[in-house]
Amino acid sequence: MDKKTAVCLALALIVAGVPARSQDQSKVELKLQLPKPMFIGTPRNIRTPNLEAVTGKARGPFYVPAGTKLVSLNKPVTASDTAPVIGETSFVTDGEKSGEDGYFVEFGPGKQWVQIDLKEPYALWAILIWHYHSQARVYRDVVVQVSDDKDFVGGVTTVYNSDHDNTSGLGIGRDKEYIETNEGRLIDPKGVRARYVRLTSGGNTSNDMNHYVEVEVYGVPVK
Amino acid sequence: MNKAAFRGLFLVILGGALVFRTAGLGLRPMHHDEANQAVKFGALLEKGEYRYDREDHHGPSLYYLTLPLAKAAGRHTLASLDETVLRLVPAIFGAATLLILLLFLKGAGAGAVLASGIFLAVSPAAVYYSRFYIQETILLFFIAAFLASVWRYALNPSWGWAAAVGLCAGMMYATKETSVIAFGAAAGGLIIALMSGRKGGEVGGGHGRFRVWHFLLALASALAVTGLLFSSFFSHPNGVLDSILSFRVYIARGSEAGWHRYPWYHYLSLLAFSRFGASAPWWSEGVILFFALIGGIAAFGRGRHDEPGPSFPRFVLFYTIFSTAVYSLIPYKTPWNLVPFHFGIILLAGTGTARVLRAFRSNAFKAAVLMVIAAFVIHLGVQTYRANFKDFADPRNPYVYAQTGVDFMRLIKRVDDLAAVHPDHKEMLIEVVAGSYETWPLPWYLRGFAKVGYWQDADRAETPSAAAVVISSMDQEEKLQGRLGEGFHSEYYGLRPEVVLALHVRNDLWERYITEKAGK
Repeated sequence: MDKKTAVCLALALIVAGVPARSQDQSKVELKLQLPKPMFIGTPRNIRTPNLEAVTGKARGPFYVPAGTKLVSLNKPVTASDTAPVIGETSFVTDGEKSGEDGYFVEFGPGKQWVQIDLKEPYALWAILIWHYHSQARVYRDVVVQVSDDKDFVGGVTTVYNSDHDNTSGLGIGRDKEYIETNEGRLIDPKGVRARYVRLTSGGNTSNDMNHYVEVEVYGVPVK
Repeated sequence: MNKAAFRGLFLVILGGALVFRTAGLGLRPMHHDEANQAVKFGALLEKGEYRYDREDHHGPSLYYLTLPLAKAAGRHTLASLDETVLRLVPAIFGAATLLILLLFLKGAGAGAVLASGIFLAVSPAAVYYSRFYIQETILLFFIAAFLASVWRYALNPSWGWAAAVGLCAGMMYATKETSVIAFGAAAGGLIIALMSGRKGGEVGGGHGRFRVWHFLLALASALAVTGLLFSSFFSHPNGVLDSILSFRVYIARGSEAGWHRYPWYHYLSLLAFSRFGASAPWWSEGVILFFALIGGIAAFGRGRHDEPGPSFPRFVLFYTIFSTAVYSLIPYKTPWNLVPFHFGIILLAGTGTARVLRAFRSNAFKAAVLMVIAAFVIHLGVQTYRANFKDFADPRNPYVYAQTGVDFMRLIKRVDDLAAVHPDHKEMLIEVVAGSYETWPLPWYLRGFAKVGYWQDADRAETPSAAAVVISSMDQEEKLQGRLGEGFHSEYYGLRPEVVLALHVRNDLWERYITEKAGK
């Protein structure tokens, strides 16, 4: 038996033995020799924007019903944080998607939301979000909800939820977290009808703040 | 100024320096480099093992100086250590550097010593790196003690100061390879100070004379300290030779520089003015640079009391010019490398401040100037507070460099929370699959776990699907996902800006965690 096979077998034994250990007192723990970390010098300091995606692959085509159009451009936006740290709340729907300074709005730390009033109900077929794409980072507890109720008390549909442990109190989500890229995050609302779109987040992997470069909502007017 | 007033003011300054350096030492997440040092020290603490590593670690003094403090704190294992115990070592040496200033009283004067003490106590750079478990502040302390010993020997040669010069030189060399820059800069400064000093009378009022055996005593002291520490107290004699061979490594690294390459003016511009982004706060130690400039110009004027002997301001000025020039010309730059010449700037700023105050004969003018200086000192103190207690990991803080982000601590908390619900608790199997630059400081934070394995390539990781938790860098994600299958829940956490780690938790453990969390 070579060394690698032996280590493999030992590992399998130890793992298999974990649940059984309390049942079989005659067994003793096999001491596992796991690899040590390698020492290495100071890592790179990064302070400048970098548009390179970490794992990004180009998104494939996304199909919507004929007649679907951008319905959020320049529509009014409100936010839980009424005094953004940087930028204006209107940046969320101003059509500017550049990752540079001056194009994003920064809201305070922790759980914050922005809400877009589409002014009339639409059948929603796509929601595209750019939180902040000049740096590889992940926004936490991203929840996207739609409703005809501006207060989001009744008739709320959650179309995306990556809050896996219910930190935001909006329910446990099963959607995956993702790394921000210049492609934005495309969410499929599957034609749900709504006038208001509310996006919640709880900070990000670089800091506790919440950012939006742009949100685009695509839909078809409801007759 | 009478002695009582001087002592009182000095004690207040020293107290302030101690508070800035020792409060909240656990706030900032461990930097990659700190974690490296900490884990290496862990081997010395637990097994008495230390081997000088000429590739990725500096000299042995940091580890040996940590040992008594850790033992005094009752820590005997790596797992029992914490950030506060480790960082207390540079913090204490950083504050103790103020005491060294007292050795410059003869030459600099009480006013200059107090002013230098204030600048050293509140300088954001000096404080930030005094709270960093790396070699720089230890090196600073021994450089200060070396300069003081050299200066006192030049004033009044004696075997005592000769031995002190040697001991400090040995400790400098045993701390960091860049100590050779300080040796050269101090020699250059002293030669110029001696050559340009006023002739006549007794040098410095002393009666000693240079003796060859003083030089031999200094050399023997330096070699003894160096030999003892680099040879791990004679258990690893090759360490002494390795310390010499290390210069090949550091010369190559210094010239190649890689991603640590910055222009020659990088350090000076960092100290003068920094601002990252239109909305970010600005930072400046410009007031220290301004008074240092005055101190430098004043070094060419008449001496403080027009005493015979070497000129203290010129000694400091040329030490500072030479060391700043060398550090600036080396392409490899990390911000903590400014600490050794920044001390010279602070000494000069002290003499400059004293000179400005002496220039005003009217007490009213002196009071007005003092108030302006006090305002600048308060501004330095505010920056120091921001740098160390608020923006300690913010990349817009110019003293922050490749710093572990606060989000990383959420990953550690998650792993701790998961272990709390795992049947094996701290013995659950954790696999880390990441390159070396993405691995640290995980080994420090996972030091309390019994079964942690580290691989750099997902293809080589041993049955990762059997682990309770897998932590991986993004470049390994695709390969790792293929090996993990569908049985894991994944989350992302920030390690540093632009560097994201994935945390994969086996589904059964995740479900147990969520269930227990919901039940609380």
